[in-house]
Amino acid sequence: MIQVFRLCKDYGPFRHAISDVSFNVERGEFVFLTGPSGAGKSTLLKLLFREELPTSGQVLVNGRNIGVLPDSQVPYFRRTLGVVFQDFKLIGRKTIFENLSFVQSVLGLPRGEQKRRAYQALKRVGLQHRMNSYPSELSGGEQQRSAVALAIVNEPVLLLADEPTGNLDPVLSEEIMKLFAEINIRGTTVFVATHDIDLIRRMGKRVLTIEKGMLRERDMARESLAREAPFLPG
Amino acid sequence: MNSRYLFGEAWAIARSGPRHTAMAVLLIALAFYVPGLFALLARNLSRMSDPAQDPVGVVLTLDPSADARAIAAKVAQDRRVARVTIVGSEAALERFRRAYPDLGAALQELHEAPFPPTIEVHLRPAVPALAARDLAASAQSWPGVDSAESEEAFARKFRDGVRLLRGAGFFLGGLLAFAAVLSVASAVRLALDLHRDEIDIMRRMGATEAAIRAPFWLHASFEGLAGGALSLLLLYATYRAAIHLLSREPHPVLSLFWVGFLDLPTALALPAVGAIAGFVGSLLSLSKRPKS
Repeated sequence: MIQVFRLCKDYGPFRHAISDVSFNVERGEFVFLTGPSGAGKSTLLKLLFREELPTSGQVLVNGRNIGVLPDSQVPYFRRTLGVVFQDFKLIGRKTIFENLSFVQSVLGLPRGEQKRRAYQALKRVGLQHRMNSYPSELSGGEQQRSAVALAIVNEPVLLLADEPTGNLDPVLSEEIMKLFAEINIRGTTVFVATHDIDLIRRMGKRVLTIEKGMLRERDMARESLAREAPFLPG
Repeated sequence: MNSRYLFGEAWAIARSGPRHTAMAVLLIALAFYVPGLFALLARNLSRMSDPAQDPVGVVLTLDPSADARAIAAKVAQDRRVARVTIVGSEAALERFRRAYPDLGAALQELHEAPFPPTIEVHLRPAVPALAARDLAASAQSWPGVDSAESEEAFARKFRDGVRLLRGAGFFLGGLLAFAAVLSVASAVRLALDLHRDEIDIMRRMGATEAAIRAPFWLHASFEGLAGGALSLLLLYATYRAAIHLLSREPHPVLSLFWVGFLDLPTALALPAVGAIAGFVGSLLSLSKRPKS
Protein backbone atom coordinates (compact mmCIF):
# COMPACT_ATOMS: atom_id res chain seq x y z
CA MET A 1 0.00 0.00 0.00
CA ILE A 2 2.81 2.40 0.96
CA GLN A 3 6.31 2.13 -0.47
CA VAL A 4 8.83 4.74 0.58
CA PHE A 5 12.34 4.62 -0.83
CA ARG A 6 15.24 6.87 0.25
CA LEU A 7 12.89 9.72 1.00
CA CYS A 8 14.32 13.12 1.94
CA LYS A 9 12.52 16.33 2.74
CA ASP A 10 14.44 19.53 3.38
CA TYR A 11 13.11 22.95 4.31
CA GLY A 12 16.01 25.08 3.18
CA PRO A 13 19.68 24.05 3.08
CA PHE A 14 20.08 23.50 6.83
CA ARG A 15 16.78 21.96 7.90
CA HIS A 16 16.42 18.28 7.08
CA ALA A 17 12.97 17.14 8.21
CA ILE A 18 13.26 13.64 6.71
CA SER A 19 16.59 11.99 5.86
CA ASP A 20 16.93 8.89 3.71
CA VAL A 21 13.80 7.11 4.95
CA SER A 22 12.69 3.81 3.43
CA PHE A 23 9.87 1.47 4.50
CA ASN A 24 6.92 -0.54 3.18
CA VAL A 25 3.39 -0.92 4.52
CA GLU A 26 1.38 -3.85 3.19
CA ARG A 27 -2.28 -3.65 2.21
CA GLY A 28 -4.48 -4.23 5.28
CA GLU A 29 -1.68 -3.52 7.78
CA PHE A 30 -1.99 -1.36 10.92
CA VAL A 31 1.18 0.62 11.51
CA PHE A 32 2.13 3.18 14.13
CA LEU A 33 4.64 5.91 13.47
CA THR A 34 6.11 7.30 16.64
CA GLY A 35 8.82 9.65 17.78
CA PRO A 36 9.29 12.83 19.81
CA SER A 37 7.77 16.15 18.84
CA GLY A 38 9.51 17.66 15.83
CA ALA A 39 10.94 14.31 14.74
CA GLY A 40 9.25 14.46 11.34
CA LYS A 41 6.05 12.44 11.89
CA SER A 42 3.69 15.09 10.52
CA THR A 43 6.04 15.82 7.62
CA LEU A 44 6.07 12.16 6.66
CA LEU A 45 2.27 12.05 6.78
CA LYS A 46 2.05 15.22 4.68
CA LEU A 47 4.32 13.57 2.14
CA LEU A 48 2.08 10.48 2.04
CA PHE A 49 -0.95 12.70 1.62
CA ARG A 50 0.76 14.83 -1.07
CA GLU A 51 0.43 17.99 0.96
CA GLU A 52 4.20 18.26 0.61
CA LEU A 53 6.50 17.14 -2.17
CA PRO A 54 9.69 15.18 -1.43
CA THR A 55 13.07 16.79 -1.96
CA SER A 56 14.37 13.46 -3.18
CA GLY A 57 13.41 9.80 -3.09
CA GLN A 58 10.16 8.10 -3.97
CA VAL A 59 6.77 7.67 -2.33
CA LEU A 60 4.26 5.24 -3.77
CA VAL A 61 0.78 5.17 -2.23
CA ASN A 62 -1.74 2.69 -3.54
CA GLY A 63 0.42 2.25 -6.64
CA ARG A 64 0.74 5.96 -7.41
CA ASN A 65 4.05 7.76 -7.42
CA ILE A 66 3.25 10.84 -5.36
CA GLY A 67 6.31 12.78 -6.46
CA VAL A 68 5.29 12.83 -10.11
CA LEU A 69 1.52 13.05 -9.59
CA PRO A 70 0.22 16.08 -11.53
CA ASP A 71 -1.60 18.74 -9.46
CA SER A 72 -4.81 18.07 -11.39
CA GLN A 73 -4.75 14.42 -10.22
CA VAL A 74 -4.15 15.17 -6.53
CA PRO A 75 -7.86 15.56 -5.61
CA TYR A 76 -8.69 12.21 -7.23
CA PHE A 77 -5.77 10.58 -5.39
CA ARG A 78 -6.96 12.04 -2.08
CA ARG A 79 -10.42 10.59 -2.57
CA THR A 80 -8.87 7.16 -2.01
CA LEU A 81 -7.49 8.23 1.38
CA GLY A 82 -8.97 9.24 4.70
CA VAL A 83 -7.16 11.62 7.05
CA VAL A 84 -7.74 12.27 10.76
CA PHE A 85 -6.11 15.13 12.62
CA GLN A 86 -5.60 16.05 16.23
CA ASP A 87 -7.85 19.11 15.92
CA PHE A 88 -10.83 17.17 14.46
CA LYS A 89 -11.35 19.45 11.40
CA LEU A 90 -15.13 19.67 11.43
CA ILE A 91 -17.25 22.48 10.03
CA GLY A 92 -18.76 24.24 13.02
CA ARG A 93 -21.85 25.65 11.30
CA LYS A 94 -23.01 22.25 10.07
CA THR A 95 -24.36 19.26 11.98
CA ILE A 96 -22.30 16.09 12.02
CA PHE A 97 -24.55 14.54 9.38
CA GLU A 98 -24.28 17.68 7.23
CA ASN A 99 -20.49 17.64 7.63
CA LEU A 100 -20.39 14.17 6.20
CA SER A 101 -22.86 14.72 3.39
CA PHE A 102 -21.30 18.12 2.53
CA VAL A 103 -17.93 16.66 1.57
CA GLN A 104 -19.69 14.14 -0.64
CA SER A 105 -21.80 16.81 -2.33
CA VAL A 106 -18.54 18.60 -3.19
CA LEU A 107 -17.42 15.39 -4.84
CA GLY A 108 -20.68 15.31 -6.82
CA LEU A 109 -22.34 12.24 -5.31
CA PRO A 110 -26.14 11.93 -5.66
CA ARG A 111 -28.11 12.98 -2.57
CA GLY A 112 -29.41 9.51 -1.78
CA GLU A 113 -25.91 8.07 -1.89
CA GLN A 114 -24.61 10.95 0.27
CA LYS A 115 -27.19 10.21 2.97
CA ARG A 116 -26.61 6.47 2.86
CA ARG A 117 -22.82 6.81 3.16
CA ALA A 118 -23.03 9.47 5.87
CA TYR A 119 -25.37 7.34 7.97
CA GLN A 120 -23.24 4.22 7.48
CA ALA A 121 -20.08 6.08 8.52
CA LEU A 122 -21.75 7.52 11.62
CA LYS A 123 -23.07 4.07 12.51
CA ARG A 124 -19.58 2.60 12.22
CA VAL A 125 -18.25 5.09 14.76
CA GLY A 126 -21.36 4.72 16.95
CA LEU A 127 -22.61 8.26 16.53
CA GLN A 128 -25.80 7.76 14.54
CA HIS A 129 -27.84 9.01 17.52
CA ARG A 130 -25.88 12.34 17.50
CA MET A 131 -26.13 12.93 13.76
CA ASN A 132 -28.12 16.16 14.14
CA SER A 133 -25.77 17.66 16.72
CA TYR A 134 -23.32 20.43 15.95
CA PRO A 135 -19.61 19.81 16.69
CA SER A 136 -19.72 22.25 19.60
CA GLU A 137 -22.43 20.13 21.24
CA LEU A 138 -20.21 17.03 21.26
CA SER A 139 -17.53 15.89 23.68
CA GLY A 140 -13.89 15.69 22.56
CA GLY A 141 -14.16 11.94 22.03
CA GLU A 142 -17.37 12.31 20.03
CA GLN A 143 -15.80 15.05 17.92
CA GLN A 144 -12.83 12.82 17.12
CA ARG A 145 -15.16 9.93 16.29
CA SER A 146 -17.01 12.32 13.97
CA ALA A 147 -13.68 13.20 12.38
CA VAL A 148 -13.01 9.50 11.89
CA ALA A 149 -16.45 9.13 10.31
CA LEU A 150 -15.58 12.01 7.99
CA ALA A 151 -12.34 10.28 7.06
CA ILE A 152 -13.99 6.93 6.30
CA VAL A 153 -17.14 8.23 4.62
CA ASN A 154 -15.56 7.83 1.17
CA GLU A 155 -14.55 4.26 2.02
CA PRO A 156 -10.80 4.89 1.72
CA VAL A 157 -8.21 2.19 1.10
CA LEU A 158 -5.76 3.94 3.42
CA LEU A 159 -6.48 5.84 6.62
CA LEU A 160 -3.83 8.28 7.82
CA ALA A 161 -4.05 9.78 11.30
CA ASP A 162 -1.82 12.50 12.73
CA GLU A 163 -1.86 12.51 16.54
CA PRO A 164 -5.56 11.56 16.59
CA THR A 165 -5.57 11.20 20.38
CA GLY A 166 -3.52 14.30 21.15
CA ASN A 167 -6.52 16.15 22.58
CA LEU A 168 -8.11 13.18 24.34
CA ASP A 169 -7.79 11.53 27.76
CA PRO A 170 -6.45 7.94 27.98
CA VAL A 171 -9.91 6.33 28.03
CA LEU A 172 -11.12 8.20 24.96
CA SER A 173 -7.76 7.61 23.26
CA GLU A 174 -8.19 3.88 23.66
CA GLU A 175 -11.72 4.15 22.32
CA ILE A 176 -10.44 5.87 19.16
CA MET A 177 -7.70 3.27 18.73
CA LYS A 178 -10.27 0.49 19.00
CA LEU A 179 -12.23 2.26 16.29
CA PHE A 180 -9.13 2.32 14.07
CA ALA A 181 -8.61 -1.38 14.75
CA GLU A 182 -12.20 -2.11 13.68
CA ILE A 183 -11.70 -0.10 10.52
CA ASN A 184 -8.49 -2.02 9.89
CA ILE A 185 -10.23 -5.37 10.36
CA ARG A 186 -12.63 -4.40 7.59
CA GLY A 187 -9.66 -4.16 5.21
CA THR A 188 -8.54 -0.53 5.36
CA THR A 189 -4.81 0.03 5.82
CA VAL A 190 -4.25 2.25 8.86
CA PHE A 191 -1.18 4.42 9.44
CA VAL A 192 -1.22 6.36 12.71
CA ALA A 193 1.37 8.90 13.85
CA THR A 194 1.41 9.32 17.62
CA HIS A 195 3.85 9.86 20.45
CA ASP A 196 1.67 7.97 22.96
CA ILE A 197 3.95 4.98 23.61
CA ASP A 198 1.63 3.37 26.18
CA LEU A 199 -1.21 3.34 23.71
CA ILE A 200 1.01 1.82 21.03
CA ARG A 201 2.17 -0.84 23.45
CA ARG A 202 -1.39 -1.79 24.33
CA MET A 203 -2.36 -2.09 20.67
CA GLY A 204 0.48 -4.50 19.87
CA LYS A 205 0.88 -3.44 16.23
CA ARG A 206 3.87 -2.78 14.03
CA VAL A 207 5.77 0.36 15.03
CA LEU A 208 8.07 2.64 13.05
CA THR A 209 10.09 5.17 15.01
CA ILE A 210 11.32 8.41 13.56
CA GLU A 211 13.88 10.55 15.32
CA LYS A 212 15.64 13.60 13.88
CA GLY A 213 14.28 12.61 10.49
CA MET A 214 15.77 9.09 10.58
CA LEU A 215 13.52 6.02 10.65
CA ARG A 216 13.92 2.66 12.33
CA GLU A 217 11.68 -0.33 12.87
CA ARG A 218 10.88 -1.02 16.54
CA ASP A 219 9.87 -4.31 18.10
CA MET A 220 7.55 -3.23 20.90
CA ALA A 221 6.75 -6.79 21.98
CA ARG A 222 10.42 -7.54 22.58
CA GLU A 223 10.88 -4.20 24.37
CA SER A 224 7.97 -5.01 26.70
CA LEU A 225 9.39 -8.43 27.50
CA ALA A 226 12.81 -6.94 28.15
CA ARG A 227 11.32 -4.44 30.57
CA GLU A 228 9.29 -7.06 32.45
CA ALA A 229 12.12 -9.69 32.53
CA PRO A 230 15.40 -7.82 32.13
CA PHE A 231 17.58 -10.94 32.50
CA LEU A 232 16.14 -12.75 29.52
CA PRO A 233 18.56 -12.98 26.59
CA GLY A 234 17.95 -10.16 24.06
CA MET B 1 -20.24 19.12 -8.21
CA ASN B 2 -23.98 19.64 -8.16
CA SER B 3 -26.06 22.82 -8.33
CA ARG B 4 -27.46 22.29 -4.84
CA TYR B 5 -23.96 22.39 -3.40
CA LEU B 6 -22.98 25.32 -5.61
CA PHE B 7 -25.94 27.58 -4.78
CA GLY B 8 -26.13 26.41 -1.16
CA GLU B 9 -22.50 27.28 -0.53
CA ALA B 10 -22.70 30.58 -2.42
CA TRP B 11 -25.63 31.52 -0.17
CA ALA B 12 -23.74 30.33 2.93
CA ILE B 13 -20.79 32.53 1.93
CA ALA B 14 -23.11 35.54 1.59
CA ARG B 15 -24.66 34.79 4.98
CA SER B 16 -21.35 34.28 6.74
CA GLY B 17 -20.46 37.96 6.30
CA PRO B 18 -23.75 39.80 5.75
CA ARG B 19 -22.30 43.25 6.45
CA HIS B 20 -19.46 42.78 4.03
CA THR B 21 -21.82 41.38 1.40
CA ALA B 22 -24.16 44.36 1.84
CA MET B 23 -21.23 46.78 1.69
CA ALA B 24 -19.89 45.22 -1.50
CA VAL B 25 -23.34 45.34 -3.13
CA LEU B 26 -23.74 48.98 -2.10
CA LEU B 27 -20.32 49.93 -3.43
CA ILE B 28 -21.04 48.26 -6.75
CA ALA B 29 -24.42 50.01 -6.90
CA LEU B 30 -22.78 53.39 -6.35
CA ALA B 31 -20.02 52.57 -8.81
CA PHE B 32 -22.60 51.92 -11.53
CA TYR B 33 -25.06 54.63 -10.49
CA VAL B 34 -22.71 57.50 -11.38
CA PRO B 35 -21.91 56.39 -14.96
CA GLY B 36 -25.55 55.37 -15.31
CA LEU B 37 -26.56 58.94 -14.50
CA PHE B 38 -24.17 60.20 -17.18
CA ALA B 39 -25.67 57.74 -19.65
CA LEU B 40 -29.17 58.95 -18.74
CA LEU B 41 -28.19 62.59 -19.25
CA ALA B 42 -26.41 61.85 -22.52
CA ARG B 43 -29.37 59.86 -23.83
CA ASN B 44 -31.84 62.61 -23.08
CA LEU B 45 -29.58 65.32 -24.50
CA SER B 46 -28.87 63.35 -27.64
CA ARG B 47 -32.60 63.35 -28.40
CA MET B 48 -32.25 67.06 -29.07
CA SER B 49 -29.52 66.59 -31.65
CA ASP B 50 -30.58 63.52 -33.54
CA PRO B 51 -27.22 62.25 -34.82
CA ALA B 52 -28.90 59.94 -37.31
CA GLN B 53 -29.80 62.90 -39.50
CA ASP B 54 -27.33 65.15 -41.29
CA PRO B 55 -27.15 68.44 -39.37
CA VAL B 56 -29.27 71.41 -40.31
CA GLY B 57 -27.13 74.38 -41.36
CA VAL B 58 -29.68 77.20 -41.29
CA VAL B 59 -33.26 77.43 -40.01
CA LEU B 60 -35.54 80.06 -41.58
CA THR B 61 -38.58 80.87 -39.45
CA LEU B 62 -41.39 82.14 -41.70
CA ASP B 63 -44.39 84.37 -41.27
CA PRO B 64 -47.50 82.19 -41.18
CA SER B 65 -48.73 83.97 -44.37
CA ALA B 66 -45.46 83.55 -46.29
CA ASP B 67 -45.16 81.34 -49.41
CA ALA B 68 -42.91 78.59 -48.02
CA ARG B 69 -42.45 76.88 -51.43
CA ALA B 70 -41.24 80.06 -53.11
CA ILE B 71 -38.77 80.83 -50.35
CA ALA B 72 -37.55 77.20 -50.35
CA ALA B 73 -37.00 77.38 -54.13
CA LYS B 74 -35.03 80.59 -53.71
CA VAL B 75 -32.77 79.05 -51.04
CA ALA B 76 -32.25 75.90 -53.09
CA GLN B 77 -30.75 77.96 -55.95
CA ASP B 78 -27.70 78.69 -53.77
CA ARG B 79 -24.84 76.36 -54.84
CA ARG B 80 -23.80 75.77 -51.21
CA VAL B 81 -27.18 74.23 -50.37
CA ALA B 82 -27.59 70.44 -50.55
CA ARG B 83 -31.32 70.30 -49.86
CA VAL B 84 -34.15 72.16 -48.14
CA THR B 85 -37.04 70.84 -46.02
CA ILE B 86 -40.25 72.69 -45.36
CA VAL B 87 -41.55 71.95 -41.86
CA GLY B 88 -45.14 73.15 -41.50
CA SER B 89 -46.76 74.01 -38.16
CA GLU B 90 -48.50 70.62 -37.96
CA ALA B 91 -45.35 68.73 -38.89
CA ALA B 92 -43.39 70.65 -36.24
CA LEU B 93 -45.99 69.76 -33.62
CA GLU B 94 -45.95 66.12 -34.69
CA ARG B 95 -42.18 66.04 -34.51
CA PHE B 96 -42.28 67.52 -30.99
CA ARG B 97 -44.80 64.92 -29.87
CA ARG B 98 -42.63 62.12 -31.23
CA ALA B 99 -39.51 63.41 -29.54
CA TYR B 100 -41.18 64.23 -26.23
CA PRO B 101 -44.22 61.99 -25.78
CA ASP B 102 -44.92 63.11 -22.20
CA LEU B 103 -44.78 66.85 -22.99
CA GLY B 104 -46.42 66.48 -26.41
CA ALA B 105 -49.61 65.25 -24.79
CA ALA B 106 -49.90 68.56 -22.92
CA LEU B 107 -50.22 70.42 -26.24
CA GLN B 108 -53.22 68.37 -27.40
CA GLU B 109 -55.74 70.83 -26.00
CA LEU B 110 -54.40 73.75 -28.03
CA HIS B 111 -56.64 74.86 -30.93
CA GLU B 112 -53.78 76.28 -32.96
CA ALA B 113 -50.44 74.79 -33.77
CA PRO B 114 -47.95 76.57 -31.48
CA PHE B 115 -44.99 76.28 -33.84
CA PRO B 116 -44.47 78.61 -36.84
CA PRO B 117 -43.55 77.08 -40.24
CA THR B 118 -39.83 76.77 -40.86
CA ILE B 119 -37.45 75.86 -43.66
CA GLU B 120 -34.48 73.71 -42.72
CA VAL B 121 -31.50 74.23 -44.97
CA HIS B 122 -28.90 71.45 -45.24
CA LEU B 123 -25.55 72.55 -46.65
CA ARG B 124 -23.16 70.55 -48.78
CA PRO B 125 -20.46 68.84 -46.66
CA ALA B 126 -17.56 70.64 -48.40
CA VAL B 127 -18.75 74.21 -47.80
CA PRO B 128 -16.66 76.44 -45.49
CA ALA B 129 -17.65 76.73 -41.83
CA LEU B 130 -18.88 80.32 -42.19
CA ALA B 131 -21.26 79.51 -45.10
CA ALA B 132 -24.22 78.88 -42.81
CA ARG B 133 -23.78 82.23 -41.08
CA ASP B 134 -23.51 84.09 -44.47
CA LEU B 135 -26.61 82.39 -45.81
CA ALA B 136 -28.58 83.16 -42.62
CA ALA B 137 -27.49 86.82 -42.81
CA SER B 138 -28.63 87.22 -46.42
CA ALA B 139 -31.94 85.33 -45.86
CA GLN B 140 -32.78 87.55 -42.93
CA SER B 141 -33.81 90.36 -45.27
CA TRP B 142 -36.02 88.28 -47.56
CA PRO B 143 -39.75 88.98 -47.49
CA GLY B 144 -41.74 86.37 -45.52
CA VAL B 145 -38.72 85.37 -43.46
CA ASP B 146 -39.26 86.24 -39.82
CA SER B 147 -35.81 85.16 -38.66
CA ALA B 148 -32.86 83.19 -40.02
CA GLU B 149 -30.43 81.45 -37.72
CA SER B 150 -27.30 79.49 -38.36
CA GLU B 151 -27.61 76.18 -36.49
CA GLU B 152 -24.44 74.52 -37.60
CA ALA B 153 -22.02 75.82 -34.98
CA PHE B 154 -24.50 75.32 -32.16
CA ALA B 155 -25.45 71.83 -33.33
CA ARG B 156 -21.79 70.86 -33.60
CA LYS B 157 -21.03 72.18 -30.13
CA PHE B 158 -24.10 70.46 -28.75
CA ARG B 159 -23.13 67.14 -30.29
CA ASP B 160 -19.59 67.55 -29.02
CA GLY B 161 -20.99 68.28 -25.56
CA VAL B 162 -23.10 65.15 -25.59
CA ARG B 163 -20.13 63.13 -26.83
CA LEU B 164 -17.99 64.57 -24.03
CA LEU B 165 -20.64 63.73 -21.46
CA ARG B 166 -20.84 60.18 -22.77
CA GLY B 167 -17.04 59.90 -22.75
CA ALA B 168 -16.87 61.21 -19.20
CA GLY B 169 -19.50 58.65 -18.25
CA PHE B 170 -17.47 55.84 -19.80
CA PHE B 171 -14.25 57.04 -18.15
CA LEU B 172 -15.84 57.44 -14.75
CA GLY B 173 -17.70 54.17 -15.27
CA GLY B 174 -14.45 52.37 -16.02
CA LEU B 175 -12.77 53.90 -13.00
CA LEU B 176 -15.63 53.09 -10.65
CA ALA B 177 -16.07 49.61 -12.13
CA PHE B 178 -12.40 48.99 -11.33
CA ALA B 179 -13.04 50.16 -7.77
CA ALA B 180 -16.06 47.83 -7.64
CA VAL B 181 -13.92 44.93 -8.84
CA LEU B 182 -11.40 45.64 -6.08
CA SER B 183 -14.13 45.88 -3.45
CA VAL B 184 -15.57 42.52 -4.55
CA ALA B 185 -12.07 41.04 -4.53
CA SER B 186 -11.53 42.15 -0.95
CA ALA B 187 -14.98 40.85 0.09
CA VAL B 188 -14.16 37.47 -1.48
CA ARG B 189 -10.78 37.42 0.25
CA LEU B 190 -12.55 37.98 3.56
CA ALA B 191 -15.04 35.23 2.78
CA LEU B 192 -12.13 32.92 1.98
CA ASP B 193 -10.64 33.71 5.35
CA LEU B 194 -13.93 32.93 7.10
CA HIS B 195 -14.20 29.60 5.26
CA ARG B 196 -10.57 28.55 5.63
CA ASP B 197 -11.45 25.44 7.66
CA GLU B 198 -14.02 24.29 5.14
CA ILE B 199 -11.62 24.80 2.26
CA ASP B 200 -9.04 22.78 4.16
CA ILE B 201 -11.49 19.94 4.76
CA MET B 202 -12.74 20.01 1.16
CA ARG B 203 -9.21 19.88 -0.18
CA ARG B 204 -8.27 16.98 2.08
CA MET B 205 -11.37 15.08 1.07
CA GLY B 206 -10.34 15.39 -2.58
CA ALA B 207 -12.41 18.32 -3.83
CA THR B 208 -11.03 19.83 -7.04
CA GLU B 209 -9.93 23.48 -7.07
CA ALA B 210 -12.85 24.28 -9.38
CA ALA B 211 -15.31 22.78 -6.88
CA ILE B 212 -13.74 24.80 -4.07
CA ARG B 213 -13.72 28.07 -6.01
CA ALA B 214 -17.03 27.81 -7.88
CA PRO B 215 -19.25 28.92 -4.93
CA PHE B 216 -17.00 31.98 -4.46
CA TRP B 217 -17.27 32.82 -8.18
CA LEU B 218 -21.02 32.46 -8.02
CA HIS B 219 -21.29 34.49 -4.82
CA ALA B 220 -19.23 37.36 -6.26
CA SER B 221 -21.13 37.31 -9.56
CA PHE B 222 -24.42 37.54 -7.67
CA GLU B 223 -23.01 40.35 -5.56
CA GLY B 224 -22.17 42.23 -8.78
CA LEU B 225 -25.56 41.41 -10.29
CA ALA B 226 -27.35 42.67 -7.19
CA GLY B 227 -25.20 45.83 -7.15
CA GLY B 228 -25.91 46.50 -10.83
CA ALA B 229 -29.64 45.89 -10.34
CA LEU B 230 -29.66 48.21 -7.32
CA SER B 231 -27.92 50.94 -9.34
CA LEU B 232 -30.60 50.53 -12.03
CA LEU B 233 -33.29 50.85 -9.39
CA LEU B 234 -31.63 53.98 -7.97
CA LEU B 235 -31.35 55.47 -11.46
CA TYR B 236 -35.02 54.83 -12.16
CA ALA B 237 -35.94 56.35 -8.80
CA THR B 238 -33.84 59.42 -9.67
CA TYR B 239 -35.48 59.68 -13.09
CA ARG B 240 -39.00 59.39 -11.64
CA ALA B 241 -38.20 61.88 -8.87
CA ALA B 242 -36.94 64.38 -11.46
CA ILE B 243 -40.05 63.86 -13.62
CA HIS B 244 -42.21 64.40 -10.53
CA LEU B 245 -40.35 67.57 -9.59
CA LEU B 246 -40.44 68.96 -13.14
CA SER B 247 -44.17 68.30 -13.46
CA ARG B 248 -44.73 70.31 -10.28
CA GLU B 249 -42.29 73.06 -11.13
CA PRO B 250 -41.51 73.03 -14.87
CA HIS B 251 -38.05 74.20 -15.84
CA PRO B 252 -37.59 75.88 -19.27
CA VAL B 253 -34.57 73.74 -20.24
CA LEU B 254 -34.70 70.64 -18.00
CA SER B 255 -38.36 69.99 -18.79
CA LEU B 256 -37.48 69.91 -22.47
CA PHE B 257 -34.86 67.21 -22.41
CA TRP B 258 -35.54 65.16 -19.23
CA VAL B 259 -38.20 63.00 -20.82
CA GLY B 260 -36.97 59.43 -21.21
CA PHE B 261 -35.25 56.67 -19.21
CA LEU B 262 -32.38 54.52 -20.45
CA ASP B 263 -33.11 52.26 -23.40
CA LEU B 264 -33.54 48.56 -22.58
CA PRO B 265 -30.07 47.32 -23.68
CA THR B 266 -28.31 50.03 -21.63
CA ALA B 267 -30.55 49.36 -18.63
CA LEU B 268 -29.88 45.61 -18.80
CA ALA B 269 -26.18 46.24 -19.27
CA LEU B 270 -25.90 47.63 -15.72
CA PRO B 271 -26.66 44.37 -13.86
CA ALA B 272 -24.85 42.35 -16.53
CA VAL B 273 -21.67 44.44 -16.23
CA GLY B 274 -22.10 44.29 -12.44
CA ALA B 275 -22.11 40.49 -12.57
CA ILE B 276 -19.03 40.52 -14.80
CA ALA B 277 -17.28 42.93 -12.39
CA GLY B 278 -18.13 40.60 -9.49
CA PHE B 279 -16.81 37.59 -11.35
CA VAL B 280 -13.59 39.39 -12.30
CA GLY B 281 -13.18 40.49 -8.67
CA SER B 282 -13.47 36.90 -7.48
CA LEU B 283 -11.02 35.76 -10.14
CA LEU B 284 -8.58 38.37 -8.87
CA SER B 285 -8.78 37.20 -5.28
CA LEU B 286 -8.78 33.52 -6.23
CA SER B 287 -6.01 33.80 -8.81
CA LYS B 288 -3.65 32.24 -6.31
CA ARG B 289 -4.47 28.92 -4.66
CA PRO B 290 -6.63 29.80 -1.63
CA LYS B 291 -4.60 28.97 1.44
CA SER B 292 -5.95 26.40 3.83
